[in-house]
Amino acid sequence: MSVTKAIHNYFERNGLALGSFLLFAVFFWVVVLIILPQLSMLDFSFRHHLPPPEMGGPKDVYTLEHYKYLVLGAPGADSSYNVVDLGVFGRTLLAAVFVTILNLVICYPIAYYLAQTKAGGFARALVLLLIIPYWINEILRAFAFRIIFGETGLINEMMLTLGLIDNPIDFIRANVALYAGLGYAYILLMIFPIYNVIESLDRNQIEAARDMGASWARIHWRVVIPYAKPGISSGCTMVFMLTAGALAAPQILGGPSSLWFTQIIYQWFNQGGNWPRGAAFAIVLLVTCVVIVLSMMRLFKVKMGDIGK
Amino acid sequence: MKSENVFLKILLGAYLILFFGYLLGPLLVMSITAFNSPSFPKMTPWECLTFEWFDVLANDERILNGIRNSLIVGTGTVILSVTMGLAGALILTQIWPRLRATYYTIVIAPILIPGVVLGISTLVFWDRINVMLGFSSDSFLHNGIFLTILGQSTFIASYCMLVFIARLQRFDVGLTEAALDLGATNVQAFRKILLPFMKPAIGSAAVLAFLASFENYNTTTFTFGKYPTLTIELAQKVRYGINPSISALAFIIIALTLFGALAHEMYRRKQQLALANGAPVSAVTGKGFQLPKFLKGNPAAILLIILTLGAISTIWYAQVHSPQQCILDVREQKRIETEKKIQAIKEKRRQEMLKKQQEQQKAAPSSNQAIESLAKVLLVAYSRLKTLKIMHLMVPPLFRKARRTIQVKAHLAAYLHRRI
Amino acid sequence: MSRGVGVTLEDVWIRFGDFVAVREANVNINGGEFFSFLGPSGCGKTTILRAVSGFLEPSDGRILIGGKDMAGFGPNKRPTALIFQNLALFPLMKVWENITFSLEVQGVSKLERRKRADELLDMIALPGQGDKLPSELSGGQKQRVAIARALCAEPDVLLLDEPLSALDLKLRQHMRTELREIQQRVGITFIYITHDQGEALTMSDNVAVMRAGVIDQIADGHTIYNDPATPFVASFVGENNVFRGRIKSIDGKHAIIETNRSGALVARIAPAAIGQLSVGDQAMMFLRPEACNLATETSLTHNRIRARVQNEEFEGQTYNVFLEGDQGKEIKMSLVNVGQDRQSEVGQDLTLEYNPDQAIILPFGELASE
Repeated sequence: MSVTKAIHNYFERNGLALGSFLLFAVFFWVVVLIILPQLSMLDFSFRHHLPPPEMGGPKDVYTLEHYKYLVLGAPGADSSYNVVDLGVFGRTLLAAVFVTILNLVICYPIAYYLAQTKAGGFARALVLLLIIPYWINEILRAFAFRIIFGETGLINEMMLTLGLIDNPIDFIRANVALYAGLGYAYILLMIFPIYNVIESLDRNQIEAARDMGASWARIHWRVVIPYAKPGISSGCTMVFMLTAGALAAPQILGGPSSLWFTQIIYQWFNQGGNWPRGAAFAIVLLVTCVVIVLSMMRLFKVKMGDIGK
Repeated sequence: MKSENVFLKILLGAYLILFFGYLLGPLLVMSITAFNSPSFPKMTPWECLTFEWFDVLANDERILNGIRNSLIVGTGTVILSVTMGLAGALILTQIWPRLRATYYTIVIAPILIPGVVLGISTLVFWDRINVMLGFSSDSFLHNGIFLTILGQSTFIASYCMLVFIARLQRFDVGLTEAALDLGATNVQAFRKILLPFMKPAIGSAAVLAFLASFENYNTTTFTFGKYPTLTIELAQKVRYGINPSISALAFIIIALTLFGALAHEMYRRKQQLALANGAPVSAVTGKGFQLPKFLKGNPAAILLIILTLGAISTIWYAQVHSPQQCILDVREQKRIETEKKIQAIKEKRRQEMLKKQQEQQKAAPSSNQAIESLAKVLLVAYSRLKTLKIMHLMVPPLFRKARRTIQVKAHLAAYLHRRI
Repeated sequence: MSRGVGVTLEDVWIRFGDFVAVREANVNINGGEFFSFLGPSGCGKTTILRAVSGFLEPSDGRILIGGKDMAGFGPNKRPTALIFQNLALFPLMKVWENITFSLEVQGVSKLERRKRADELLDMIALPGQGDKLPSELSGGQKQRVAIARALCAEPDVLLLDEPLSALDLKLRQHMRTELREIQQRVGITFIYITHDQGEALTMSDNVAVMRAGVIDQIADGHTIYNDPATPFVASFVGENNVFRGRIKSIDGKHAIIETNRSGALVARIAPAAIGQLSVGDQAMMFLRPEACNLATETSLTHNRIRARVQNEEFEGQTYNVFLEGDQGKEIKMSLVNVGQDRQSEVGQDLTLEYNPDQAIILPFGELASE
């Protein structure tokens, strides 16, 4: 079918007014909101940090300065690599992986349980209970963890009263609060994709496997998990990306000595005032996360279309 | 076989309790702290029941201003992202099959792009447009509300689109064809058939979009400019000094959420029941239900009523309850306790001094004294090292031996340690 | 009140990429006629219907309604109304809104629409049900609402795409009669799509039998059943015993075929095949189960076959006897139940006899695969 005929058919089907409106809305979204800003940020990250009057002037040329800075550090620094920023970057990714795995382990059983329990009042109530925390503001959720894990927080007070410890434990500094909070923040995004997939799994398959004498572990390993793979990878992808890109939880729950990479970006924008550098760091974060996710998807043979189901 | 089942059930129950404890515990704790009088939000020790934090909240200009901004941004985001999401979903069903995968990847990507990146790119892009157009730095392109709506809509539209796609998949294309066959134009078929079918999805997408906008932080933190939303204000507060008025706000939001969820559940259940009873739908959606009938077999409705009554009585109680006396009592008690503590410490010191003197008198001037003073020094060092948690690497057995010789004076060591 | 408008298909081809869905269709449907397209699923009959209603354009050829070329007219501009296989009632609209949707899009006032809806509801014997939702109706009621909705548009041609297939047997038979009655009452052209030969034969004035995109035969029900034009039609419409062989001799309207396993048999040459067969040609003889009888004599003639009873089924109005002839040739015979005793026993040898006018011979061709 030729392009002109396709376009003709399109307007035939939708009418001129509606058809143009739909095209305009999608164009605005895809091009003006999604593609152009990303490209503009990419372009910006290759420019020098200049005061506004000099923008577009002779000094406004492309440079790798900001990327070099991330790898090598400031010119004339002690070490030959930017140990601080790279360290934070690596730790952020590792912690995100850790949180993702933790989430998967916590959520798989509940997703399986909910999906395979017959739709009754109890299961519905559980689903409702699952959703409610998700409607509470992210900041407030982090705040709740601060109340619990703080130096005079619930856990410390309780352990002190019970005589388990003599001095309060600094959960914030030890990052316990951060991991608990991050794991908590995106729990729903792990549960629902897995739940949706497992729900469509025919119960008879599980019964058949059990009938043939398979143990519970084997049933999950051979029947349920392979079937739930798209849901699992979808959940893992979302949790990983959101955790690596989280800003609120690290700001509120992070210890003073442990930065999250997004916080460094935030600093370049809001305190450092060096936007191009912040943009460069953001690009690095984005590209790295996308590469990790895509390679994982290739490794587990999952398609993009499965995401968001 | 049976015992295994019981074991599994216990395991499952424990898991469920732990899981939901993790999920709901923090919210519960936070809610409770809203009613406790200490100015740092804490649940223990419980001091006085107070409602003053709600007062503090209600008089907080910044919070109120944040709520106002959040509502404006939320409304704009809902309109923009529902429109774009719906258009995106409709185009997806019609797009050239060869382009479909690419298109889907692009419009779904904003969900996966970190919010920070979206915020930055929006800020940078419109800043450049502004420069290109030669506008001043306070033009509408730099307006926090404008930027925030655009930045949030970028990814919230993707969420909306997912909702619409799910609904569209259940749409029977035959209905549109039937309408066309009966003489409707394309636009009429869209307006009279497809749009009414999409209505529930539009409703849920709008709610979803509003909630997502309301709670967004990562994107908004770069774009808000002079118009901080509630979430931004909250984050500022939480980062720099917290007090229970935030818990009070959290409690209000949790209560509202609970109300909303229960009301929705009640409505659903009511419809289900009516349908199950074979009543015509017009009766189901009709107004003026009778109380006993509508409660029958509808636990959500019962819970909702209990909750409402609870809320009303709490508000009433808040009007008459005055925690002033209690707070004074607690303050008095604290004062007495502190005094007692000071007394105790003074007494302890006196005792120790006495003991020390006695010991010095008793002990003959011998090598023992030298060892003892050495041990004291070592002990100080040791207790310092202990705090560094590298005791086992650094303390040789000798030190431990020396420690044993004066174990009787452990309390003294503790005292010294505290002094240092 | 015959205001029927004819529909003509001239050399219509419909292709999807390389796939040919309809091949050179030439059909002439008279105004006011009840016309059926009959064929197995995937034969292209629904494609023809969609082309007539305007949802797709033929790749070649013309479609004329009332003598007017319909090329370029969308479904909303054609004087046709389609009743969908799943009915496609609008689930969110009340019954009366469904019925008068075609008036609504024309901007007819609500009052007038309501009046028209009540008239039509009376016609389909559902008075006072206008305020229900489609989901509250039974299968048969939905069916009638769909018909009323289509008729409300006052089409010249009503197209029906297997509308009865979702109903249970009793209701289906009832609706057949009702559809035919409605058609005769309103007098417009009905074009009906079905894979059920019973529906096609009972309701239609004329039937087109389709096979893999090709129309094999267009005729009234009697002719289709008694004088099929191709082996496909013979085997698809009703049941037939097939005997393959070669023409041994031709005598006017009759011929003798030397069958592969059952010896030489005599039969009438199908009208469509007259002049096409000559001695020595490969051919097929079709013998309907109900055309078989028990011979009173056992001597073999050209209209007798010997076979052994394998199995017997009692179907109420008939006994179906399954026999095995020489070399395992399977033959089915149906005997009308007129209160006779059991006619046969398993393992019993029988001689069958038939009237040569009730068996027909056709040139060798493709059969309907069951």
